Amino acid sequence: MTTVTEVGAPSPSPAPIRAEPRGDHRGSWIPSRGMVTTRCMELRRRRGLMIALIAVNIGIPVVFLGVRLISHAVDPKSYGPAGGYSIFTTLVTGFMYVFGFVVAAVVGCTAGSVDLTEGMFRHLVITGRSRLALYFARIPAGLAIVIAMVAVGYTIVCAVCVFAAPTQLNYDGVNVPVGLSQPALDSWAAAHADEVICDFNFHGGAGLNGPPPNVTCGGQSIGPPPGTVIQTKGGGTFTVPAAESPAQIRAFAVTVANQDYADYHSNFLVPSTTLMVEVGLWIALEATIGFMVGLGLSSLMGQRTVAVILLIVLELILTPIFSRHVISHLLNVQRGIVGVAMAHIEPGGLPTPFSGGGGGGPGANPLIPESTLASSLVIVGWIVFWTAIGAWRMRTRDA
Amino acid sequence: MSATGTATATGSGGGEWAVETHGLTKRFEDNIAVNDVELLVPRGCAFGYLGPNGAGKTTLIRVLLGLTHADAGTMFLLGHSVPRHRDVALARVGAIVDEPRFHGHLTGRQNLQILAAAREPAAKRRVDPALERVGILHRADDKVSKYSMGMRQRLGVAACLLGDPQLLILDEPMNGLDPAGMLDMRDMILSLVAEGRTVVLSSHLLDEVERTCDAVAIVDRGKVIRQGPISKLLAGSSFEVQVECSDPDRAGDLLTATPFGAHVQTGAEGLAISLPEGTDRDAIADINRLLVEGGISVFRLQHIQASLESWFLEVTKRLGEAE
Repeated sequence: MTTVTEVGAPSPSPAPIRAEPRGDHRGSWIPSRGMVTTRCMELRRRRGLMIALIAVNIGIPVVFLGVRLISHAVDPKSYGPAGGYSIFTTLVTGFMYVFGFVVAAVVGCTAGSVDLTEGMFRHLVITGRSRLALYFARIPAGLAIVIAMVAVGYTIVCAVCVFAAPTQLNYDGVNVPVGLSQPALDSWAAAHADEVICDFNFHGGAGLNGPPPNVTCGGQSIGPPPGTVIQTKGGGTFTVPAAESPAQIRAFAVTVANQDYADYHSNFLVPSTTLMVEVGLWIALEATIGFMVGLGLSSLMGQRTVAVILLIVLELILTPIFSRHVISHLLNVQRGIVGVAMAHIEPGGLPTPFSGGGGGGPGANPLIPESTLASSLVIVGWIVFWTAIGAWRMRTRDA
Repeated sequence: MSATGTATATGSGGGEWAVETHGLTKRFEDNIAVNDVELLVPRGCAFGYLGPNGAGKTTLIRVLLGLTHADAGTMFLLGHSVPRHRDVALARVGAIVDEPRFHGHLTGRQNLQILAAAREPAAKRRVDPALERVGILHRADDKVSKYSMGMRQRLGVAACLLGDPQLLILDEPMNGLDPAGMLDMRDMILSLVAEGRTVVLSSHLLDEVERTCDAVAIVDRGKVIRQGPISKLLAGSSFEVQVECSDPDRAGDLLTATPFGAHVQTGAEGLAISLPEGTDRDAIADINRLLVEGGISVFRLQHIQASLESWFLEVTKRLGEAE
């Protein structure tokens, strides 16, 4: 095979050699402000993604709180107040924490993969800009969107929980003085026995010697009629007296009030400012982790869908399981799951996540043991590891 | 990789060549996509990079632009060693590789703004002029998902222009363009060359390359087999003469019996006479004289100008036969 290498210079006037572009630091791994803002613009213009982000972070809490506000305004006897401590904790741990992670992960996976799947990666590499700078530009751009959305949604939740918390508590349709201690509520219940028996939730069972007394509520009699013979748990019988004594009625009311004290207390409390700030930072950190892991994983895989599915499985299935069930041979692996570590550093005063916002109930397993230092290291490790993996793949990937 | 090129390995940006490669090799497992390529592209010209499908044209471009790494060899873009000074070299390079694709949910202008942000600050000011130059400024605020293939090609060229490039590398830029679009693209390439820029055009459309380019390289199975100015390369091809006469069979016998070294074929349009490389125009008169003196009436006698296409087919056919 012959190779002819007689190449002439066809043009008599080649372009003069231009100076290097001014203000150009394209070899640097630090992205320019323009790169960050245009990347942010690219993400913001994804209508479907933004709708999902707004719906989860803002829309669902707003709808939930709105319905509660309206319901309570229309029928305060049947529906509790929209705000207060219990609503705050339910929304934060049962919803915003978990789904904030998932939505942030979706944004991260999108930011990490779309240049590749939509063919822009090649154009960007051809600019000569450092591939690391191209990768790092996605981090502030994505976080600016994710954190802003989380902040707006969280602010709305806090505002409603504070301002819609009752100043005078209408509890189960009865106006109850706010901020009573348990003995004080007992005294108040004894003084308002008929109202308590008629309107407070009665859970039956423990501490009661018999069925509800036969009192009249709204013109209707409740409880078994006088003379009714009732089988007791011990195998004996109990005959409803013709009329309970006032002391019996007061004792029953006090017992019902005792049963409802925890619920009354949580309805009354307003989340403290300190708690709200701590929880806000905690949720923002969770969203940041979701974004960073999504970004790194999708950059590694080069696609979005599988990465999103993996992160949803991690957050909604694996983390709740591994956070409460000790598997002796895998204990350290369990401790290495970022969701478990995040549960360990949750602000005090919140029910533990992954337990439906109710702390898992008295019979629920506690979180697997892990020190705060270990939890912090796991969280930092996840962020650093996935950022490094994504950056490495960005550098080495064929465009 | 060792720096053995003639350009300045320190990346000073000088040098005679816009693109210079020595022993450039790229393998995909057992397949050698770029095989020991020695390529010299002069500055300030339109240079065609030709080859059949799968010859390794796009792979070479991807290696040059740092989209994938080379396994061996050295290369220089605008005199800068690549990949060592890739950032400096690519600052003045614009390229389209394969089909140009963009974010479909963004407008053409927004896509260019993203690319401009990755270049020097001055690139932002070039977005609208670039769109205007490729003729899609009026559609700049439409989403790219609504663009035709031809408009995306134009947007790709606009993206190339953001860096005020000295070197443009265009991979099949005529794909998807209608005849008017191809004409516009050809004019644009020529105007870019007229401004002193270098345009490397990878294509399998030989006719377009012949109309647009000053010099070409032919690549086959990853190896550059010929390169040089088109005029010189065609001058080295065989000399073809078409003859229409009263007795083609006897004319063929007469011509093969002479020392012209002619290869004669009889076809529907008469005799196709192929004479050796280097034959001059006097041969036409000699053929005419021979036939007339042999009592054959000559109705038409025409020198067939060698085209790039015929030369390309001739060269690749010869190579195929040699193997």
